[in-house]
Amino acid sequence: MGNNASFKLYYFGFRFRGEVIRLVFTAAGKEFEDVRIDPSQWPQLKNQAPFGTLPYLEVTSGSQKLVLTQSTSIARYLAKKFKLAGRNDEEAAIVDMYADQVSDVLAEFAKTARESDANKKKEIEQKIENEIMPKNLKLFEARIAESRSGYLVPSGLTWADLYLFNLLEMLGEKRVMVLEAFPNLKGLDQKIRNNPRMAAYLAKRPITPF
Amino acid sequence: MAEYKLHYFNARGRAEVIRLIFAAAGQKYEDIRFEREQWPEYKLKAPLGQAPFLEITQKGKTFQLGQSMTIARYLARRFGLAGKGPEEEAEVEMYGDQITDILNEIIKIHFEKDEARKAESAKKFFEETLPNILRTLQSKIEKNGSGFLAASGLTWVDLYLVDVLGWLGEKKEHLMANFEHIKALDTKVTNHSKIAEWLAKRPQTPM
Repeated sequence: MGNNASFKLYYFGFRFRGEVIRLVFTAAGKEFEDVRIDPSQWPQLKNQAPFGTLPYLEVTSGSQKLVLTQSTSIARYLAKKFKLAGRNDEEAAIVDMYADQVSDVLAEFAKTARESDANKKKEIEQKIENEIMPKNLKLFEARIAESRSGYLVPSGLTWADLYLFNLLEMLGEKRVMVLEAFPNLKGLDQKIRNNPRMAAYLAKRPITPF
Repeated sequence: MAEYKLHYFNARGRAEVIRLIFAAAGQKYEDIRFEREQWPEYKLKAPLGQAPFLEITQKGKTFQLGQSMTIARYLARRFGLAGKGPEEEAEVEMYGDQITDILNEIIKIHFEKDEARKAESAKKFFEETLPNILRTLQSKIEKNGSGFLAASGLTWVDLYLVDVLGWLGEKKEHLMANFEHIKALDTKVTNHSKIAEWLAKRPQTPM
């Protein structure tokens, strides 16, 4: 695939699993078509998605076309293309490991969204707040401290930092308060918000519940 | 020369794909298996406090990795089992994620305590979710002509697919009857000399 590839992302209008992809494009300063699908339209459009799920990405370069699905695989592919994946294979593996960890936590949030039983839903929400989030925030905090760059790996910003930033946004109004206990996470969150490309994107993106 | 130490419970679980990658690559490694009671002691060594984890020692330095999929992708790249080129690698990873979705669903159903929910989830999984994923995977295999998920040949996700299909137990044969290309892939992989050797000698565990 050449360097003149064009990109079309298909996802719902909210952040959740698609946002990391939008953040990778943004941090890299790369253009993409950000197709936001209305959930009510989704049943009719489902057939067009390679595995019937969102997000999916169309990459076109001349006559070549690639269609990718699965948010982390898409993000990783783009990050490697745009040099946001770490400086070598070993660093890239550490990036992947922490991205997988973020993905696992997001999966817990997904469980609450899918849960129809109100009591079970509350149970999962409390487990996330009291156990899963604190345990994972400590892991991420320790990793940033170890890398000493202010990011998850020594060489600087990678897609896992953007994914982590996305996860921290799931804390909603509690985010600022929670981050007070985690100076390195707070620092990473600030650094990303203050990155000029990110700041411009965050200022204009649609406001969504999650 | 790198040395590898895999740490996991005495089970296939989330580590088996890694063991299959080592087998296919003909790469020696230490297959450390601990009992449940020993886990607290290993947990302290694990980079994310989770298993499996891998220790790689190279040129006197040791580096640790957690998360089964990260380990699988990293080793696959090292051993030439990740696909050719960034686009094929990304496609392969995508299939890997789909297969993980299958595995996660199987695990979720297995551990569901409410009998009614369990039956409902299992029905949806076997009648809809799983066949839909297999149908898409099958059409990929058909299209690319290699008999594997990637056009360039065997990759780690072929091993992973076979591993996860193994979890279906008695339902596997019935399903495979409807997906001839996947059945052919399954046969090809399990008959691959190094895989067959591993399957014959690996510890037999319930999970």
